[in-house]
Amino acid sequence: MRLTKIGALAAASILAFAACSTTGTAPGGSAAGGGGTGKTVKIGTELPMSGAETANGEPTANGVKLAIKQSNAKGEVPGYTLDINVQDDAVNGAHDPQQGATNMHTLEADTSVVGVVGPFNSNVAQAEIPISNAGGLLQCSPANTNTSLTYPPDAAQYRPNNPDKINYIRLAAPDSIQGPAGADYVFNDLKAQSVYILDDTETFGVGVGDSFAAQFKKDGGTVTKRDSAPKSTTDYTPLFTAAAAAKPAAVYLAGTTPTGMGLALKQGRTVAGFESIPFMGPDGVADLGPGGTTGATITVAGAAAHDVFGTVAGIHDLPSGSTFVDDYTKEFGKAPGAYSAAGYACAQVIIAGIKAAVAASAADMAATREGVRSNSIKAGNKFDTVVGSISFDKNGDITTPFMSFYKTDLTASGGKGDWVYVKQQAFTDPNAQ
Amino acid sequence: MRTDGRRVLRITASVAGALLVAYVVLGVQQFQNFLTLGAIYALVALGYTMVYGIIELINFAHGDVFMVGAFASMWIMTVPLGLADRPIEDPIRLAGVLLIVVVATMLLMGTIGVIIERFAYRPLRHAPRLAPLITAIGVSFILQNIIQAVFSPSPIGVPQVFPRVKIDLLGGSIGVLNIFMVIVALALMLGLQLFVGRTRLGRAMRSTAQDRQAAELMGVDINQTIAITFLIAAALAGAAGVIQGLYFGSIQFNLGFFAGLKAFTAAVLGGIGNTTGAAIGGFVIAFIEVLAAQLGFSRWSEVAVFTVLILVLVFRPSGILGQALGERA
Amino acid sequence: MRSSLAAVVALARRHRSLTILIGWALVGALLPMIVLIPPFSTFQGQGLWIGGFANAGVFILLALGLNIVVGQAGLLDLGYAAFFAIGSYAYAFGASSFTGLHVPFWPMLLIGALAAATFGVLLGAPTLRLRGDYLAIVTLGFGEIVPAVFLNADKYTRGTNGIGGVAQPELPIIGKFTFSDSLPFYVTMVVILALVMVFIYRLQESRLGRAWQAIREDELAASSAGVNTITTKLLAFALGASTAGFAGVFNASKLGIVSPDQFGFAVSFTVLAMVVLGGMGNAWGVAVGAFTLYMIQSVLLKQLNQFFGGLHIPVLQNIDFVQYQFLLYGLALVGMMLLRPEGLFPSRRRQQELHGDADTVDGAGPTAETSDALADR
Repeated sequence: MRLTKIGALAAASILAFAACSTTGTAPGGSAAGGGGTGKTVKIGTELPMSGAETANGEPTANGVKLAIKQSNAKGEVPGYTLDINVQDDAVNGAHDPQQGATNMHTLEADTSVVGVVGPFNSNVAQAEIPISNAGGLLQCSPANTNTSLTYPPDAAQYRPNNPDKINYIRLAAPDSIQGPAGADYVFNDLKAQSVYILDDTETFGVGVGDSFAAQFKKDGGTVTKRDSAPKSTTDYTPLFTAAAAAKPAAVYLAGTTPTGMGLALKQGRTVAGFESIPFMGPDGVADLGPGGTTGATITVAGAAAHDVFGTVAGIHDLPSGSTFVDDYTKEFGKAPGAYSAAGYACAQVIIAGIKAAVAASAADMAATREGVRSNSIKAGNKFDTVVGSISFDKNGDITTPFMSFYKTDLTASGGKGDWVYVKQQAFTDPNAQ
Repeated sequence: MRTDGRRVLRITASVAGALLVAYVVLGVQQFQNFLTLGAIYALVALGYTMVYGIIELINFAHGDVFMVGAFASMWIMTVPLGLADRPIEDPIRLAGVLLIVVVATMLLMGTIGVIIERFAYRPLRHAPRLAPLITAIGVSFILQNIIQAVFSPSPIGVPQVFPRVKIDLLGGSIGVLNIFMVIVALALMLGLQLFVGRTRLGRAMRSTAQDRQAAELMGVDINQTIAITFLIAAALAGAAGVIQGLYFGSIQFNLGFFAGLKAFTAAVLGGIGNTTGAAIGGFVIAFIEVLAAQLGFSRWSEVAVFTVLILVLVFRPSGILGQALGERA
Repeated sequence: MRSSLAAVVALARRHRSLTILIGWALVGALLPMIVLIPPFSTFQGQGLWIGGFANAGVFILLALGLNIVVGQAGLLDLGYAAFFAIGSYAYAFGASSFTGLHVPFWPMLLIGALAAATFGVLLGAPTLRLRGDYLAIVTLGFGEIVPAVFLNADKYTRGTNGIGGVAQPELPIIGKFTFSDSLPFYVTMVVILALVMVFIYRLQESRLGRAWQAIREDELAASSAGVNTITTKLLAFALGASTAGFAGVFNASKLGIVSPDQFGFAVSFTVLAMVVLGGMGNAWGVAVGAFTLYMIQSVLLKQLNQFFGGLHIPVLQNIDFVQYQFLLYGLALVGMMLLRPEGLFPSRRRQQELHGDADTVDGAGPTAETSDALADR
């Protein structure tokens, strides 16, 4: 009895304090300061910015920075200066869902943030969407591919507070496209009838591996063996030795290089039967980093990185007349990463939403936030972005997903080795049927 | 003496039998993988068992010493020796390079081992049991973070100087590198046995392990003996690090954690404190892992290894070769 | 003035539980206020601070639970996150769209704790007779096995995807807790912590608490004095595990998703560092240690990043302080063991043990060494 009273007292006093403090806002981490007058409105980024995954997050965030800078220079949103709030979800060198959730709380609490670009990793998205959903904050992921994030009925579980408010959109084609696209490529283009699949036990790897396997079988090929090895694995040779018995004609590395696929490639090549057959991987393997880039597949695998093919769940050829690559290179002194353009495009979608909300004279930041969210998935809305004219379906998936194909060339980039572009392919809206 | 000889004979016969079974179960190619992996685990496990034998400390940082050894060998190859990532075809030059790398890494790691013992463990020699163990965990974190800061958290390639030549042997094609690794490991283990069994210092180590106070009374320099134990343990881990880098080609700052845990399991399995047991334990763990991969249960291999660890500790805490120690408080 | 203070202290001694409750109520009420004052207010808004405090509460709870095992009974548990995982998954099974079950949060708190305690007993019963450092390794192995099983048994756990859509608590007046407002979570956590703390202090002064202490100091002597060492240790293990179970249920409902990667060894070691830093054996010390470390890792390191990122000092600017969180733990563990093994806020008893030892270590006092020698026979 005594207890409940004290608890209630504490609760009451806390409520009182909270009530008188809701006006205080946090400054957040601002990087791209603007010189303009008027109100500041921010786009958040929530990406892995440190450790082994810097190569994933940093170029993507740079894309957002560039979009903000150019938009400010043009004065695209009258009366407002755009700014950025950068959050990093890498802990001890690897993306961390718990850290992502904390970051999302931070962004959600920064009332001047009206949209977020990110995250990069699907399991981080699973922890973040419930939070951004409760705050009505739009998340635009340039890179997430896990199907459960958007596909009903799975996706509904991430929106417990506002089940009907879609607040998560993505530019990358989901695994249900990327896996099969890889399977078709291996079967039709590489002419391999049998494949060995190795995944990294992570959300992304397992998902893309499953959909690859299903399509490859549908094509008429054989999956000779399927293995899962956690990222703590250091010795992949026994796996490849066991897999060699069935003499697969190709290997699909379902995972990412930071979670072991680069090492698997390097060691797999030393096992009899795997010396020269093609290896294929999704965008976690096709990181488009030239040899010498810290942590990139070609750097990790070294001389073993020959005849490696990869898909990237986005567009390669930007619409003609785009100055994006030049602008980016000028601004940051290096070529864009695999998801720089997608980050830029996500920022463009959010900026378009801000413009629409301002035009509709949104009362405050909360109304702007809601405007950005609803604008992005409104039926019939099209966005002119650096990756072309795009729109999102009722689940938040891009209606015109693209898949780009690359292969390694160890003589490229002055002998350091690099990924070279092969082709790109348009797909139809996965949720259309 | 006669019973001792018989015991050696019995162990040798059992090991030969076990190897034959492994060969039959795994097939040639996997047998080679098993021996190579086992050699690494065995070398690391020896360090655990020696340190535990002498000061009853689970040197939690030992796995990370192994990891640092791999990085040290990578650094020695790339910076002072300036080697590129391509095989050295000239056998004499290759032998010279390997000798330099192995010896330099072992010396460097031995020194690091002694430094760690001097500053992290020696001050706690009389503290309650958990204190040095907690310190060891701390040292493990510190080593990992230093390597991460110096070499980046990403996997780093080790120059592949050893040509990937294969020869036909035992009805399969066996890598020369694998043979080299196993021979190096066995030579080091044999050297250790001789050192512990035949030299004055080795006798000092054994007597300190048995009864520190009595050894001290007999004129053994305890501090020196313990320091030498750490030196040898860390040098062996360094050698394991060299072959790890040479064979797997890529190393990362966190590779010591699981490798260390598995090697510790190996040490426990073989009967902690018993060097022959540790070596055998290393091969048993490698067998479990390779078998799991062979049967397509690779995702369960970690669970299998740790389950073995728990089961051994529960049902036979003295390990395969350990004397019955009875229950210890 | 002084006499009235003395009277208060005396009163506090006599009504320990009440004092703890009032203490937590005060702390719980003051924390949200303090963060309105600079410099705290400049780091982040109050809502975020409160969310952070609720998360810190999870770690305080874990540290308090581990403290029962490590600090009070002297058993080193390196796989404590396993029980955290079991509590979390218990709640995810009991209250999510995945299983279709919707058991309310409050009974699930107890069920989660019970589930964790059950596994604690199952693991402890065969292993607790092992000597301390063997036990440490067994628990470390267990800590690796549990998340691996949740990862690999994907038919029942959705594997690496984790179980999403985990339900939030509901209360009559407040309704369902939401992700946008951390305050109800915070208040819940403060109440849980207050209750757990009262329980812990009661335990400490009970027969069982004294038995733990005896075992920690000299197991052989305790055993000869009639303490059933196995049962006593088992109880410590089970109670520690159940506290982690509480934390797991709470964390699952606050995060809304449970996945195997939340329960790696990093969690176990973080909590251990908290216990060691705070002072093994002293519940308040451990709570402060856990709170401090959590705040350092979640707020201070980030602030340092921003601070030095903003200044244009060549080297410091590029250091990512958050990356080196484990370096900090490592230094803390080594430094504490070498310089102040009793922790920052030691329990009086523990301090005596540690420093009493140091004084008599070369003599023939009842030191760790001699008791080991005895045990070694």
